[in-house]
Amino acid sequence: MDKDEALIEKLKNATLKDTAFSELLDTYQERLYWHIRKIVSTHENADDVLQNTFIRIYKNIQKFEAKSSLHTWMYRIAYNESMRFLENNNKKRYKDIDTISDSHLEVLFEDEYFDGDEIQKKLTNIIARFTEKQRRVFQMKYFDDLSFRKISEILEVSESTLKSTYYTTVKIIEEKIFL
Amino acid sequence: MMNKSTENNKRQNFLEEGFKDDVFKHHNKYLGTQIPEGYFAKSKSSILNKINEDIKIKKTKKQLVFWMRPQFKYMAAASLVFILCLTVWLQSSNKTDVLEETNFELFVFSDTILIESLLVDESEIDAFTDATLFNEILVKAEISEQKLDNLVLDSLILEDSLLNYYIDYGLIETLVL
Repeated sequence: MDKDEALIEKLKNATLKDTAFSELLDTYQERLYWHIRKIVSTHENADDVLQNTFIRIYKNIQKFEAKSSLHTWMYRIAYNESMRFLENNNKKRYKDIDTISDSHLEVLFEDEYFDGDEIQKKLTNIIARFTEKQRRVFQMKYFDDLSFRKISEILEVSESTLKSTYYTTVKIIEEKIFL
Repeated sequence: MMNKSTENNKRQNFLEEGFKDDVFKHHNKYLGTQIPEGYFAKSKSSILNKINEDIKIKKTKKQLVFWMRPQFKYMAAASLVFILCLTVWLQSSNKTDVLEETNFELFVFSDTILIESLLVDESEIDAFTDATLFNEILVKAEISEQKLDNLVLDSLILEDSLLNYYIDYGLIETLVL
């Protein structure tokens, strides 16, 4: 039995649930935070979504059927929560999510917890102008280091499509960042 | 800052370094994103507190609505239906009594007429019919008049009670207005 399986067993046990949940937070909180932060941009938004994500995980852990790994399942919840957040709170700003406006980047650059230099801003700018699908694939693969199989489970897209999308984004970044 | 930029300018390393163990450094290095100091510890306790609050609220809600459980709801609904049925039944049984009394009166009236009609000569039957019908109309008129009197008396009693009410609560004001 691996670490995650043991953790799931404890989470499903009413007497051990709270201790196990604390352990779960220690293991996955930071990774999920960064996953969320890349979608919702600012620290404040990411904090809200992270809390909602973990509350949802706590409430639904009994329904987890281990069809995918715990890690993938939690990533999917975080992804869905982030998308729900964008839809509910930023309908105007993210009206057309595929063409993120300059105002979105302004919000990101004005965030007190953004401290990027010119190259970092340039990279952020390039990523922000990807399509929604390209952006998520690139971020999950490159920053979160998820396997294509896991990304495929989270986004429900075939692995071959993901690979092609990822390498296209890498090529675009390499071409644009050193112009 | 300059060092960071120079580092990022090394094209060969860029996007080939893969994921580092320190997820924060990785994000900070390429995206320039920061987090407040000690954020994850604070966030952890905040999440746990929120969950505990949710559990407490749920427990309180459960205690408050104990009597609203389905079995109690069914019992209450059944009782209401029973009371409704009982009311309808009582009302309809009262109406039957009234009808029966009326029918009885009509029967008595009819029997007398029938018996008398046997004794009447055929030549006088037209006059008897006229007289009987005239009597019947008179009796019915009398009965309905009595009922009307009763109604008027009842309404007078009611009006008296209303009069007392108006006198108690400013009859003069009412009249003036």
